[in-house]
Parts: sequence; structure tokens; C-alpha cells
Amino acid sequence: MVGLPYDCLANPLGAVRLTFEKAVASGSDPSTFDGKDWGAADLFRNFLYDNDGLSQVPMLNAATIRSLQPNTLVKFRGMIQDMLGNEFYVGAYKDGDVWRTNKFADHSQFPMESSSVMRVWERRMLYCVPVPGQNSWTESFCEAAVIPFTNSTSPPREKRQRDDDMSTDDVDMQAPDQEFEDSPSAKRKREQSIPSQSSNLQENIIGGTYSGTGLVPDFNRNSFPCLVKIYDSPESDLKLNDVFEFIGVLTFDTELKADSDEIGELDTSLYEDAMTHLPPSKVPRIHCLVHRKLDVHDFLSSPPVLEPKSHLVKEIRQALLGHLTAVLGNDGLAAEFMLLHLLSRVHARVDAVAVGKLSLNLICLNKDSISVFRNRLNRAIRNLVPFTHSLPLSIDYLNSVSLAPRKDYQINRLVSGALQLAEGSHLTIDETQLQAGTLNTTGVDNARVLKSLMELQKVEYDFTYYKMEMTADVQLLILSEGKSNILPADLVLPFRPSSVDCCDNVDPELLKAWRWYLATMRSLPHSIEQEMQKVVEDDLVAARQADRSLGSQGLGRLLTMGRLVSVSFGETCLSLDHWQMVKELERLRRERVQESM
Amino acid sequence: MLFLNPDLAKDFLSHFADADGESKYMNVLQDVANHKIKAIHIELEDLVNYKDLDEEFLRRVTENTRRYIQIFSNAIDELMPEATEPFPDDDQDILMTQRSEEATENADASDHQQKMPPEIKRYFEVYIKASPKGQPFTIREVKASYIGQLVRISGIVTRCSDVKPLIQVAVYTCEECGFEIYQEVTSRVFMPLFECPSQRCKINKTKGNLILQLRASKFLKFQEAKIQELAEHVPKGHIPRTMTVHFRGELTRKVSPGDVVELSGIFLPIPYTGFKAMRAGLIADTYLEAMSVIHFKKKYEEYELRGDEEERILRLAEDGDIYNKLARSLAPEIFGHEDIKKALLLLLVGAPHRKLKDGMKIRGDIHICLMGDPGVAKSQLLKHIINVAPRGVYTTGKGSSGVGLTAAVQKDPVTNEMVLEGGALVLADMGICAIDEFDKMDESDRTAIHEVMEQQTVSIAKAGITTSLNARTAVLAAANPAWGRYDLRRTPAENINLPPALLSRFDLLWLILDRADMDTDLEMARHVVYVHQNKESPALGFTPLEPSVLRAYISVARKLSPCVPRELEEYIATAYSSIRQEEAKSNTPHSYTTVRTLLSILRISAALARLRFSDTVAQSDVDEALRLMQMSKFSLYSDDRQRSGLDAISDIYSILRDQAARTNRMDISYAHALNWISRKGYSDAQLKECLEEYAALNVWQIHPNTFDIRFIDA
Repeated sequence: MVGLPYDCLANPLGAVRLTFEKAVASGSDPSTFDGKDWGAADLFRNFLYDNDGLSQVPMLNAATIRSLQPNTLVKFRGMIQDMLGNEFYVGAYKDGDVWRTNKFADHSQFPMESSSVMRVWERRMLYCVPVPGQNSWTESFCEAAVIPFTNSTSPPREKRQRDDDMSTDDVDMQAPDQEFEDSPSAKRKREQSIPSQSSNLQENIIGGTYSGTGLVPDFNRNSFPCLVKIYDSPESDLKLNDVFEFIGVLTFDTELKADSDEIGELDTSLYEDAMTHLPPSKVPRIHCLVHRKLDVHDFLSSPPVLEPKSHLVKEIRQALLGHLTAVLGNDGLAAEFMLLHLLSRVHARVDAVAVGKLSLNLICLNKDSISVFRNRLNRAIRNLVPFTHSLPLSIDYLNSVSLAPRKDYQINRLVSGALQLAEGSHLTIDETQLQAGTLNTTGVDNARVLKSLMELQKVEYDFTYYKMEMTADVQLLILSEGKSNILPADLVLPFRPSSVDCCDNVDPELLKAWRWYLATMRSLPHSIEQEMQKVVEDDLVAARQADRSLGSQGLGRLLTMGRLVSVSFGETCLSLDHWQMVKELERLRRERVQESM
Repeated sequence: MLFLNPDLAKDFLSHFADADGESKYMNVLQDVANHKIKAIHIELEDLVNYKDLDEEFLRRVTENTRRYIQIFSNAIDELMPEATEPFPDDDQDILMTQRSEEATENADASDHQQKMPPEIKRYFEVYIKASPKGQPFTIREVKASYIGQLVRISGIVTRCSDVKPLIQVAVYTCEECGFEIYQEVTSRVFMPLFECPSQRCKINKTKGNLILQLRASKFLKFQEAKIQELAEHVPKGHIPRTMTVHFRGELTRKVSPGDVVELSGIFLPIPYTGFKAMRAGLIADTYLEAMSVIHFKKKYEEYELRGDEEERILRLAEDGDIYNKLARSLAPEIFGHEDIKKALLLLLVGAPHRKLKDGMKIRGDIHICLMGDPGVAKSQLLKHIINVAPRGVYTTGKGSSGVGLTAAVQKDPVTNEMVLEGGALVLADMGICAIDEFDKMDESDRTAIHEVMEQQTVSIAKAGITTSLNARTAVLAAANPAWGRYDLRRTPAENINLPPALLSRFDLLWLILDRADMDTDLEMARHVVYVHQNKESPALGFTPLEPSVLRAYISVARKLSPCVPRELEEYIATAYSSIRQEEAKSNTPHSYTTVRTLLSILRISAALARLRFSDTVAQSDVDEALRLMQMSKFSLYSDDRQRSGLDAISDIYSILRDQAARTNRMDISYAHALNWISRKGYSDAQLKECLEEYAALNVWQIHPNTFDIRFIDA
């Protein structure tokens, strides 16, 4: 292969222009390029995937932003948190007799005369954030150890982390508000803000963080938003809450800051364009050339080299089960259910039913045991799945926060809530802290949202004038003293620990294998053979005859368990043994529930 | 170009005749001249109809609307007739007369800034209305290629700014020479003039100071709004898009947040000014310059049939089985419950409201209560019905908002005024209100619901506000039995646990029990296994009708107002009295058959007639109504029947024998027999079984083709 005549990494725009000129030279009419690619994306795809360029592309995050140059190629991994609509830009224009393009750029490379012939194209803007609840071990791979483990796994960390998130969110919200409400005092405010900004600048310089890219505000590791501009690709490709890797041209402009003052001039205007609320000096932009949907596998540190061979899988399963048993204080049954729970995912939606979900409610946790096991469980789960969250449920919390995302029309943005989670996230809800009290309207709403997430795996996003249901796929673990009625889980299991021995030290290699195991087995296909189907049907009928309270939900849960037990052994077809195992597990569980009543 | 010629615009305005032969636009202009109206709406439809202008022309107007508005304005200037009626002079007019006098005096004022711009003389506004044909765009569909074009968009208004004056023509007077200087403003921001540009000042080099004359300048009302895509237009997994809309002049104050509107307007880029223009040459913000506003009406009465819908509905109506077909299409994913679905369909259709001569109103809405064990898909049925109904509100008995079911007086957070906020029942006026968890309702709401269900109003006397709000809504309630599950050892009345005053207001009460039944269990197990195996629902065996078709059909049906023919009156009266007698005979009456029941029968029959698109109630309608009422009781008391030792077959036999004895005949036609037994809640299949069984016993003979029955004399 001949060396490329341009540097895709350092000068991606040059490469874009070159392909554009080539396409024009070969006789295509630039005005037909609207919504089409003339070969630029192909070039980059070729460079990234066929010529192994992907590993050379630097990752954009809070730590690397200072060292990255604008107008270079970067990659960014994040979840689509909001969609800001589309933006019209002059895609191609005539500079004298030559066609030029502005695609994948913020400004035109050459001065433009306003009278010149131009074509207006559009691009979509996505507001992306790092995947909420992403655990530190995933980053150790992505960032090539740029930052050491900042997310130490000390117990109260999880809570603090969220507080941080919230406070930064608040700041985000407030700043544009000031600009928006244009009372006579607004001008004064503006005047005040300018000196403060410059002093800020000085501090930064003194602080030594000033680098070539200019003013870099303090990025919180967990709220490093990025505005991704998407070209050409069909709308259905990118959905809300999807986790993507975007590779594109970074622009991170500090000069445009002045614009916000300008906009303030328009009295009580309803224009709240992205410039005002997401100033380019704070939020980097990526002009996306190539995007790729990410899977849990992409967050694992070792490439999946293992074949799902049955003996190997069984070994891993056994080891993992042992680990979970130890974590759960030698409660083997709880460990079995925990394993199934960790393997569950919504793999189909039929009518209103989310098929495949398996939420688990561990009950009989009292004040003493909860403090030990909550932290232990959280830590163990954090080590196993890439995205984890935990919610302490208390009256105050329910009454004060908004769990579901809602649209704020003042700033025209979707304000994220704790339940805006990426597919495959794990959420632990601690109900033991809940006291008797009164819920206000927000609290009732939150309880309803939680219930619908539990039952349907759907979250209602609040758009004030209407609500929109967004599908979710979240593994839910509830810890409570008695059976939780606010959060009706699929499985209720009284928890019986028999020891509180510590079991913290796990071989990192083993952890890697377990992560791989969970990620791979989850996505295995599964089916039930004809004869087996008959057996299952009869068993279900018998179960229902024995217990009238078992509805279609309960039957569905048994089938889900069947599926999960067999995939946990790496098998794709339900065998009689595994079905027996399901029934046995269910019998043991019922016994325990009976006893604990 | 064909139409850029202003003469053609003049020609169109002065000669276009509407369907009645009136010259439509000249009449409008006369009203404008008389200062009665300000807005002149030019409809694109009229332009097309006039002189058979072609598609090409239509395209030109839609793509260059702004220019055409200018052309029409100029044409109107020339055409404007003299006022025929006196109107009070205002400041503007006095100014205008002065100006025109001055203009003739100063004929030398050839300077363009001294010449009066036509805009300042106009006291009318011109709008071009897009053709109402076809579907409006969603915001998502408006692409870059539509810039500058006339588009029609539907959406919901999310924010509105205050109405503010927007300067259109700035007028200055010069301190030195005294001339009036005009400056036309086309953008939101403008640079005021400081030096007098008049001939005299220039020659004298006085650089006269200009003073802006606010009273002489022309201002326009201006309002900004944001619209957002409707929930149903947003693809799955996406966020609704928004768009800015500018309203000017007469179109201001037409919308408020929350309104669902259809707008036609010109999609335009916002010209950047000053520093921003230099930087942002690349990116354009866009807005919609509104040309017309239509508020969406979601009521059945205003439902407009689109395109082929009318034809489809007529074809459906010809199909004999429409009643079953429509009922099955309600909540097709919920298995079985055919009679309940039929009842729900009738609830959607409703009966006409009647107003008696003495002012008494008889409601036409059919109220239904579904009661049953948890997990029998009550809530799903409710939600589905709400989705089908064009106006439906779903709420729970313990409504989460403070407004509750009826209405509340609340303080407006913005203005601090006390406002009356309607609850679910008021919001569902002329629609359907589905109340889940009916049994867990607040006591205060429960009392209020009595009034709503019979008088169909909500009366309020709170915080100094005394009023009565309309709540003409059909109530669909779902409730759990008193102890969470239906307790077979207790009486139905104990289980239902709703006061009789409330119960009697429901036309139909269904009890859905979850019974231990091998067949249904197997059916359920199969279904669950199938769903897990194939990741989809099993095929239904029929294609359900789309909700939109259902809605259209029902809207057509609701336009009818069927009446009961005289010959049926007797029939209904007999049926009613027989129900009363049966109740009197039974030692444990299960139901309260009152005059309300009679009204219910009439209502349900009328709804059935509507479904057939018939203007009169037929006997079959009454029979079906009686059958449904029987079935709803049957669901309640089937256990009794079992206890009484009569199985279905022998019960059918006794019904038929009694009927034959009463009419003193030996022959019963199959149709009659079916009528009688279905009224008692038996099915077609059961009748056939009975006929065969007793024919084998030589009790009667069955006609091999018609299945008519002939008793064999013993």
C-alpha cells in the first residue's frame, strides 16, 4: 500500500477537502452532495478499520483534552443524552470558480463572500456524555492509563460521585438561565461576569494548566459532555441512550465565548442556540466522520479471544459462583440467583412485556447486615459489569430529585435524571433506608417511574405537555427488609448470610475472565426444543394450578430463569436438567419465602 | 415571469369569484377600507382555481412566498376602495392626511429616504395561506431544502414570548429642515439614522439632528413562540424537535403553551447581524414566519375524514360482521374477553344526548365499570381505550396531582392569580375518562362523581369561586374487589363494595374473575412459551383494524342520532318488566333494576344502531343490549346458576319451552330461539348443542336447513 498523501490523524480536514476536490474533478455536481457522502467517510473507514488506524486515534476525555489539538482526529465514547435537533450550515459554496466545502468544520477555511453561490446542508447535533456509572476498570483500557484509578472503590464513593454530578449539573443549568432572563439587571450581570472570567483565566494560567488549546475549565471526570455533529447517517441509526464511539474532527474553540454577550442583546429572545448554552469553550465539538455502536465487549480490557467452550465456561461459572457465594456471606442460593440476575437482559419486547428481565429483591436485610453487604455487593458488582449505579431510597430523596429525565423549555434541553441509563446498566436500589413519611407530588411521580421501570423496563420522560416512554434495559437489584411493594421485583429472595468474612482480594485475571463470561453469555441466543416445550408447558400449567397467584408474569419469569440457567452454562438450548434446576431453585426460593413470613 | 407582473395580482384580486359568485377579495378589501378588519388572507387554493393556473405556478408561490406577499401588497395598495362607512379617525389617520398633503406640496422630494415607503400607509396585513390538502409536515421533515418555502407544520406550542412592538418604519424629523425622514426596518435590529439626508440639509451642510418620532413610526405586534413535535410523530428512541415561530400583527396572541396547532408559514433563515454575522456565516438559525394558525380539535364531532377513509368505512359498514370486527380490534393483544370488548366499543360510540322540553337532560354516555382480580389486564384495556378515543384521560382514583378528578382552585405560579384548574373529568369533557383503582378513590371525589355521572357537570364552590363546569364524559372505571381478590365465599355485594347509588349509575358492570381452569391455564402457558421462544406474539388469526380506522368509523357513527320506533316500545317495556319480575322472584336480588336500567337498555341499543349506521333502533339492537346486560350479570352470578343445579343445556331447554308455552305455539324459528337464549347469556354453540341433545330425546324436531324448532306433542 502506498503511503497516503495526507495525514488522516493530524489533518483530517485536509483529507476531507482532498476527497471533495477529487469528487468534483471527476465530474460530480457538488450541489447533489446534500445528505450524501462523496467518499470522505469511506476513506476514513478504510483508514481506521482496514489499516489499523483506530488504535492511533487519541481518545478524547477530560484528561486528554488539554493535550489535544483542535482540528485533529479524535475518538469519543459516550452515551447520547440529548438530541439538539439539526443545524443548517453552508455545506458547499463557490469561491470564484472553485467549489469548496465546509463539511466537518466549524468555519470555512477560506473567506466567503456572502453573495457567492452556496448550498445549505444540515447536520444533526447530539449531546453526549460519558456513560453514566461507567466503572474505572473499563477506562484503564480506553485511556491507556492516562489517569490512575481516581475512582477508588471505597464505599461512600458512589454516593459522593452522584452528588458531584448533580452539583455540576446545577451549574450548567444556572449559567444559561442568567443569560436568558433579560431583566435590566442582566446587563450589569454581564459586566460583572467579564472581569471574573478574565480573572479566572489568569488563575488558570498561574495554575499551570494553561496549554496550547487555551482556556480549559475544570472538567469533572464524570461530566465531560461533548457535542457531536452527525452528518448524512439515517436518523434511526442513533437513538437516545445508545452508547457510541464517535470518530471525528475535534473543534474546541475558546474565542467564540464573546458570542454569549452578543446574544444577550436580543431582548427576551427565545433563541437559545447551542452556542449560548453549550459554549464551545466549555463543550468540545466533534464533527463525526465515523460512528460505531458499542457493546459491553468494547469496554472489556482483553479482547474476547476465548471461545465459549463448555468446559471452560463451566469452570468460570463455578469460580464466579464461588466468588458470589463468598460475597453473599456463604448464601449459595442467593449466589445462584445473583448470577442469573447478572446475566439477564431484555432481549425482546412483546406487546407491553419486556421479555428477559429478571429483577431481584433480596429481603430480610436488617440494619446490621445491610451496612456490610451493601458495600460488598456494590463493590463486587462494580467489578463485574461496566456500568453500575446505586440509589439510596429515602423519603427526602424521592421528594427532592427527579428520577426521570425531563425537558426544560427554558434552556431547551433534556435534563437528565438518575434513571437515564445506558442499555445494560446495573442499578442497585437500597430500600432499607426508607422510613415512613409523606410523599409529595414529585415523590409520587418518582415512585411511579420506578415502578414502571421495574415492571415494564420503560421510563417516562417528562415533556411537560406529554410524556414519552423510552425503553430501558437495566438490571435491577433491590435490597430491603421486607418484600418491597413500591418496587415489585420478579424474584423475591430472603437473604441468609452465615458469615461476614471478607473476600476482597480477587485475582485481576479471574476478574477479567468473569467480565468476559458475563458479557458473552448474556448475548447468547437461546431456544427451546419441541419436546422440551411440551414439558415446560405442562410444568407451567401444574405450577399455576398449584398456585393461583402465579400469573403470566410469573410463568414468564420461570421461562426467563430457564433461559438464564442454560446460558450460564454456555448452552443455547434448554435441557431437561437445566429445567429441573430451575424448578429446584424456585422450590428452594419458595420454601425460604414461606419460612420468612 | 408570469405572475411577477403586478397587474395579474390586481386582476386576480378584483375578479376572483368564490362559489357564490361574490367577488371574495374585493369584499374583504372593502371591509379593510372601512377599518373593520386588518388581515387579508389570500388562499393558495383560490389562486389555483383562478384561471386554471398550473402546478408550476403553485410551486413558484410556495417557494418564493415572501416576494409574492410584496406583490400582493402593492396590488392591494392600488385597488383599495374608498371607505363606504364612516369610522373614527385615530392619530394615524390624521398623520396620514397631513402627510399626503405635504407630499403634494413638496413635489421636489425625490430623495428616496424622504419618499414615503408604501409600508407606512398600509393598515392591512397580507397573509398567504397554504393549501389545506395533504398531511402537514412534522418538524423533523422540514429540511434545508425547504428554506424560503411555504410549509404546513403540526406541533405543540411549548413557549410563548410576550407580544412586543416591532418597528416596521422608523420616522424621524430633522431639527434643521423639518422634513420627515423614513427608514424601513426589515430585521430585528436596526441602525438608527443620525444625520439628515435631505436635499436641503445636504446643500446647507447643516447636518441636521434627527429625532425619532415614536408616534409617527409604524409598529407591528410581534410574538415569538416555540413549537415542538407531537409525541406521535417522534420516532422511537428520539427526542422531539423544536422550532421557533414568529407571529406578527393579527396572528399574535393566537396561541398559548400547550396548544396543539397546525401552522402554515414561511421557513426562513435568521439574518445574523453585527459581530455574529462575521463569525457565523456558516451556520444559519431558522424560524417559521407564521401565515396562519389552526388549532387542532380532537373531538369526534370535528374529526375530518381523510382521503380514502370514507370509502373504507363504507366498505366496512357493508360488511355484516362489523360489530364483532370492531370489538375484536380493540386491544387485540388481550386474549378473549369478547363481550367486554363489545361493551367498550359501545362506550366509545355512545348514544345521543337527549334534551327534554322541560330542560331536563338525559345523558348519552355509557358508563362501564370493570371489576376483577389483579392481573386480568384491566389497566391495559383502559389504556387501550384511551388511545383509541380522540379525547381521553387516564387517571387513577388516587390521582397524583392535587387537582384530583374534578377541579381545583390553584394559584398561578406566574401571575399569582387564582385560577380554576380542571381535573381529569373536566379535561375529558366530550370524551372518555378512564379511572383506574376506582375503589381507592378519595371520599370527596367519589361524591363528586355522582354528579358527573348523571348530571354531567362538576360544581365548585372553593376559594370564592362558585361555578359549574361541564364534564360530559363517559366514565370507564376499573376496580379491585374489596379484599384485593374476589372472595367466592362472600356475596357479590360484599365483594364489590361500592355504594349502590354509584353502582346504579354504571350501565354495565363486568366482573372479570381469574378462575382455576385447566384450559385457560394451558392457553396462557402456551402463550408465554411462544412469546419467549419466538420473541413475538402468536398470530391473532385476524388482522385487527388500525386505531385510526376505528376512530374514523366511530366518528361517523357518532354523527347519527337513532330513535326508537313506536312498535319497539312495547317490546322494550315487556323486557324491562320481566327483568323486574325475575328480580322480585329471586330471594337474593343481585342487582338493582331501576328506571336507570331502562335508560341503559335504550342507550346501549342506540349505540348499537349507530354502529349499523341506522337511524332507527331495531329489535336486534335491543336484544343485543339485553344480552350484554345479562352477560355482565352472568359474569357476576354464574356461580349461583351452578349451585341451582341447572346446567346450560337444560336451562336453554326450559327457556325455549317456557317461551313456546307463553306464545302458545309449537314452532319456534331458530332466530327467535337464539334471541331468547342470548338474552339470558348463552351462546350460539350452546343452543346448537341443546337442540341436538333434545332432538335425540325426541322432544322436538329440528329442520335440517333452517334449524327451526318444532315441539313434538307429548
